[in-house]
Amino acid sequence: MNYLQQEIQGSQEPKNKIFDFVQENSLDGLWYWDLKNPDNTWVNTTFWKSIGYDGEHEAERPADWRTVVAPADLAAVEAQLAACVAGGTSNFTQLVQCTHRDQSAVWLQCQGLIMRDDDGQQERLVGVLLDVTKEKIALATAHEFATHYSTILSNQSVYIIRTNTAGNYTYVNDFFCERFGYDAKIIGTSSMDSIYEDDRPKCIATVMKCFTEPEKPHQVILRKPYRDNTVKSNHWEFKGIVNGAGELVEILCVGYDVTLLVENFEKSQHLLEVTKQQNARLQNFAHIISHNIRSHSANLTSLVRFLQEAKGAEQTAMFLQMLKTSTDKLAETIVNLNEIVTANSNAHQPRKPRSLQREVNKTLEALNVLIHQNSIAVLVNIPADVTVHVVPAYLDSILLNLLSNAIKYRSPQEAATIEVTTHSENEYIVLSIKDNGLGIDLDRHGAKVFGMYKTFHKNEDARGVGLFITKNQIEAMGGKINVQSKLGNGSTFNVYFNEGV
Amino acid sequence: MKVFELTYIIEDDLITSTITELILKRNTCFDRVQTFSNGQEAFEELAQIARANAEVPDLILLDLNMPVMDGWEFLDAFSTLGLHKHVDVCVLTSSIDPEDIEKSNTYKDVKGYFSKPLDDDILDKILDLLA
Repeated sequence: MNYLQQEIQGSQEPKNKIFDFVQENSLDGLWYWDLKNPDNTWVNTTFWKSIGYDGEHEAERPADWRTVVAPADLAAVEAQLAACVAGGTSNFTQLVQCTHRDQSAVWLQCQGLIMRDDDGQQERLVGVLLDVTKEKIALATAHEFATHYSTILSNQSVYIIRTNTAGNYTYVNDFFCERFGYDAKIIGTSSMDSIYEDDRPKCIATVMKCFTEPEKPHQVILRKPYRDNTVKSNHWEFKGIVNGAGELVEILCVGYDVTLLVENFEKSQHLLEVTKQQNARLQNFAHIISHNIRSHSANLTSLVRFLQEAKGAEQTAMFLQMLKTSTDKLAETIVNLNEIVTANSNAHQPRKPRSLQREVNKTLEALNVLIHQNSIAVLVNIPADVTVHVVPAYLDSILLNLLSNAIKYRSPQEAATIEVTTHSENEYIVLSIKDNGLGIDLDRHGAKVFGMYKTFHKNEDARGVGLFITKNQIEAMGGKINVQSKLGNGSTFNVYFNEGV
Repeated sequence: MKVFELTYIIEDDLITSTITELILKRNTCFDRVQTFSNGQEAFEELAQIARANAEVPDLILLDLNMPVMDGWEFLDAFSTLGLHKHVDVCVLTSSIDPEDIEKSNTYKDVKGYFSKPLDDDILDKILDLLA
C-alpha cells in the first residue's frame, strides 16, 4: 500500500467524498451494473454531460443510457462480460460509440471491473468511461492524411524520389520504379548512373542550386532510359530538404514525362527551320526576279527609246544589236528561273539507286573534251559498291555542275587536278570533289557561294545559278552541300546524300 | 548648274552601263564618263589615282550586285582610300530590297539610292540631290 492509499484509507473524510471527487473530476462517465438484476443498471450524470445532456432528467430513467450506445458496442461489452464470467477474470476494456445529443459520435473508452461476492459470484460491474473522441478524430485525420499522401506519392503520373546529399536514392515511388523498371534494391544506389551522360552536368548544376537555394524549386529536363530502353525526357523539380539546423539533408525530386512535348517541340523547331530556309529561298528568288527581270526590262525600255531617237544607220544598227543581246539575256534568265522553280517544286520525285562511281565516270566522259584540252589530271577514288538513292536527273545536274566548275575555275599557273572521293558520315554518303583551282575567298563570299546570280570570278560564261540549283537539288533530296576553299588554293565541294530517308 | 567633269559608272552588265553612259552624255551637266565592270576595277583605278594624286571623279554611280567585288565591298574598300577630294557616290541598282536601301544609308559616302533604269527623270533627281 503506497503512501497515497494510506492517506486515503486513514482520512477522516468519508470515503465517498474522495471517491466522488475523483470520479467527477477525472472521468467522463461511470457505469454501475447489477449483474444479478440487470434492471438495476445505472450511469452517472457525468456520462450524460459527456454526450450533451444535463443528466438531471435522464437520472430519472436510468435504463435510457442503453439507447445512446451503439448496439454493436453494447453487444461487445456484454460479450466481454460473458467472457470474463466464463474465464473468471475481472477486467476488460472496450471502446464504445455513443450518440451525442447533437447526433455526432462520442467515443468513450470503457474500463470494466467485475466485482464478485465472497462466493466468487459476479455481482456488479463498474465501468469507468473516458472520452477519447478527440484522439479518435485525430487518429482518423492522421490516417486520412497518410492515405491521401501515400496516394499522391504512388500516383500514376508523377515520379517522386528523394536522394541524400551524395545523390543516392533514399526514396522512390512506385510509379518511378514501374516506369523505369526498378525495384526496392535501387535505394542507396546513385541516382546519377541512369541519367543520359550528356545531361549529367545539367543535373549536377541543378543539385548545386539546391545547396545554395534549398528553399526554392529548381527545374531541369533530363533524359533517362525507359524500361523498354527508349530514352525519355523528364521534367524535374528539385528542392532541398533542410534539417532543424538549416543543413541540406536530402533532395526531393518530382518529375514527369515530357518526351512527347520535347519531341513535338523539336519537330516544330525543325519545321520552323525548313520554313525559314524555304522562305529565304523564296525571298532570294523574289529578289532575283526583281533584279534580273527588272534590269533587262529597264534596258529594253531605254534601248527602244534610243532606237527611236537614233541618228543614222550606224547608231540604229548598234542599238538593234544591243536590243538583241538584251532579249537573249532575258530569255536566258527566264530559262534559268524555270530551272530553279523546277528544282524547288519536284522535291517528291521518286528516288532510285545509282552507283556513284558509274555516274561520276559518265559525267567525266561528257566533259572529256574539256578535260583533255586543258590536260587536267582526274582521279576518281570511289568504291564500285557505293550507291546513293537520288532523283536521277538531279544527280546528273549536280555532278555536271560541280565537275564543270572544277574545270572552269582551274588555276592558270598550275597543272590542274581534280580528285573525286566518297566516305560515309552518319546517315550520309559524302561525295567530295576537290580541285587545285582558283578557290573562293570564303571570308568575303562564304555567305553567298550558293546564292543565286553570285559569281566570283571574271568568267564570261558564269551564270551564277549553277551552285544555287545544285544546293536546291541536293536539299530537295534531304541532303546538304558545303565548301572548303581558300583563294588560290582550290576548292573542295562536299555533297551529302541523305541515305537515312 | 554644277558640272560633273568626271563620272564613274561601276556596273557589270555591259548593256546597262552603255545605256547609262549614253544618258549621261546626252546631259550637259556631265562631261567625261568612265565605265568599270566591277568594284575591283574601279578600286584599282582609284588606288592608283590616290598614289599619283591624279584626277579624282566627281561622282560614282555604283551597282550593288557584281562579281569579283560587289558594291558593298567597293564601298568598304573605297572608304579606306583617303582621296584628296570628296567624291559623291550614288547607288544605282535594280535591287528594290529594302534591306539594301537601309544598308546603303549606313555608308556616309552614299548620297542617294536609285533604282535602275537610269532615265532623265532620275538623272534630274540626282542632280537636284547633289546641287
